[in-house]
Amino acid sequence: MATRLAPRRWFRTVAALAMASCLALAGCGGDSDSEDGITTITFWDDNGGPARTPVWEHIIAEFERENPTIRVEYVGVPIAQAQQKYDTAIAGGGLPDVGGVSTAMLANLAARQALEPVDERIANSSLDGVLSEQVLESVRATVPDDKLYLVPLSTNMGVFWYRTDWFASAGIEPPTSWDEFFTSIERLTEAGQNRYGYTIRGGAGSIAQLLEVLYGQSGIEEVFDDDGDATVNDPRNVEALERITALYGKFTPEADVTNDYVKMVAQFDGGNIGIMQHNLGSYTDHAETLGADKVAAMTVPPAEDGNRTVTSHPVTGLGVFAEGDKKDAAFAFAEFAAGKEMNRYWSEQTGVLPANTDVGDLGELTHIAEATRVLNDPGTELVQLPYYLPEFNAITKTEAEPKFQQVLLGELSEKDFLDEMAGKLTDAQAAYTERTGS
Amino acid sequence: MAVGEVGTRRRRQPRTPYLLIAPAALAMLAFLVYPVGSVVYYSLQHYNVAKPWEDGFAGLDNFRRMLFEDPLFWQSLGFTVRWVVVEVSLQLVLGLALALIVNETFVGRAVARALVFSPWAVSGVLTTGIWVLLYNPTTGLSRYLADLGLMEYGAAPLANPDTVFAAAVLAELWRGVPFFAILLLADLQSIPRDLYEAASVDGASRLRRFVHVTLPHLKDAIILSTLLRAVWEFNNVDLLYTLTGGGPAHQTTTLPLYVASTAVQSQDFGYGSALTTAGFLILTFFSVAYLRLSKFGART
Repeated sequence: MATRLAPRRWFRTVAALAMASCLALAGCGGDSDSEDGITTITFWDDNGGPARTPVWEHIIAEFERENPTIRVEYVGVPIAQAQQKYDTAIAGGGLPDVGGVSTAMLANLAARQALEPVDERIANSSLDGVLSEQVLESVRATVPDDKLYLVPLSTNMGVFWYRTDWFASAGIEPPTSWDEFFTSIERLTEAGQNRYGYTIRGGAGSIAQLLEVLYGQSGIEEVFDDDGDATVNDPRNVEALERITALYGKFTPEADVTNDYVKMVAQFDGGNIGIMQHNLGSYTDHAETLGADKVAAMTVPPAEDGNRTVTSHPVTGLGVFAEGDKKDAAFAFAEFAAGKEMNRYWSEQTGVLPANTDVGDLGELTHIAEATRVLNDPGTELVQLPYYLPEFNAITKTEAEPKFQQVLLGELSEKDFLDEMAGKLTDAQAAYTERTGS
Repeated sequence: MAVGEVGTRRRRQPRTPYLLIAPAALAMLAFLVYPVGSVVYYSLQHYNVAKPWEDGFAGLDNFRRMLFEDPLFWQSLGFTVRWVVVEVSLQLVLGLALALIVNETFVGRAVARALVFSPWAVSGVLTTGIWVLLYNPTTGLSRYLADLGLMEYGAAPLANPDTVFAAAVLAELWRGVPFFAILLLADLQSIPRDLYEAASVDGASRLRRFVHVTLPHLKDAIILSTLLRAVWEFNNVDLLYTLTGGGPAHQTTTLPLYVASTAVQSQDFGYGSALTTAGFLILTFFSVAYLRLSKFGART
């Protein structure tokens, strides 16, 4: 027969059980420093997936081998969800100790004071003096207070991947000017055989690539002129855009209007495309699918005046999060990953430009050597995209991407499209200048 | 003693029902009232995580912007209505037809029923995966048809503004038709056979029996299923987001997709909350009006 508890006893029992549960749960979810002296840090990879995860697993294994008192818990976040995941964690708690951060998202994270400045830590570490000044400057330029909010690992550069076997069988050399570039695309196209000379990225991520081919053709060196007006709608950029959109549907597949990275690479690696614009980071995909002997990279050709203008690419790195209580261990991991040995491994595996200048020559990766040569060439001008503008993502993604699709479909003129984008960038720049005084 | 026991029971009795419903009430507060209240609260705020210095009380600014300054709100709402009407109508008609077929007695009926219902068991994202592959000009159906010389290379139904709506509707139909078929079949099986026999004796044709016996019996099931499906299709994000991303050029952007791009991509959660509140109010008004006008539950 069941024993009935008096109401007061009943409440006391429930309260005691609730308290015991809370204490038990607190014990499960508290500080990861255990009695055996192991410090566990959480690391969010902002580009988790089959390509990057194994690279990080190797780096983490090496780090734990050299630092037996620190354990790294890896969490792979797909790149498309990284910003959202950080936003949610900032709002609701649960940020990692250290995480992958690029300059494309840095302004937002720094504005919300989610990241710890690492200037002093770098100055007092083995990384002092070995990180590329150009890269450090790009990172500092992203925030108004000129501080470093990430430990840079690598940067990137836009290139045109092309099929060496297609060029060979067509009997043409890789282009060294924009005129040759467009002629090559026409020569490589055989629409009846499902072969197109070029593919346009019309879907997610289209605008950064578009700006690269516009400024590359026009030779304009700044996104804003001295008056703070955006140059994106300069007549030379409008003309450059008209040359690109004229390719759509004739020398490119019709599906390009919704092409994101995955679809674009599927077409190129599937053997239907002669030239594809992307950055150094997709080398591994192409080499594995097509074979390293059938694909090569060419840099952005110089403009008519002979100047070569390339747009800046986000710097990738590791940020130490401000709310964490294991910042020393978190920075130790970032320092290790940016050190010579691991930074070399990272660059070799992901095909990007290392931030650590001690890494030196990357041997067989000729596209990286060529990109480095072009970036260091005094004749190359780097067009800094304004990642520091908080509206930059909204302007270039949410608003401009569908508009660019309208341009490709013939529903909006090239000039109107660029005028609208330029107006928004100019307004955002003015607001930024007023707010920061810089 | 007996009087005392009765007195204790009387004192305890009022508490018991509250204790019993407390878990459900707390769950509703936590998972329904709080989130809805939170969205309404943020709809009255400027809350853009990219520009925290501008955060603060907005009053009705977000709603004014939505109604008078944002053509994309009206465009996405218009597309949503078109999407819901076309999808629910076609799913109802095809689902009813399939339910009638598999309600008949024939050899292989069990297999036919399993085939009819199987798409419902496939997740939305997986459904998209299947249809993306089918529509892909490099790997999909059009590629093989072109290889056979039946059409030209490069046809991309999801990239062409003339075909993208039909292509998306077809993919969603594949998933949605079984929902109606399952629900209506269950109700069909509860119709007494003697009603049909009596109608036959009176000389009613197959069509008259359908109109005067089957349809009246299915009325409540049709009203409820179309309401549920309309709400789901209104809120459809998984299939359209992964199939078209709302493109090309916003041609398949529903209101929830617009909310997703505003809140998630542009990080403007204040305005995104206002759009969500508008969607919530529209659906609430529609649901109440639909149930009243259709006289749901009334005896026929």
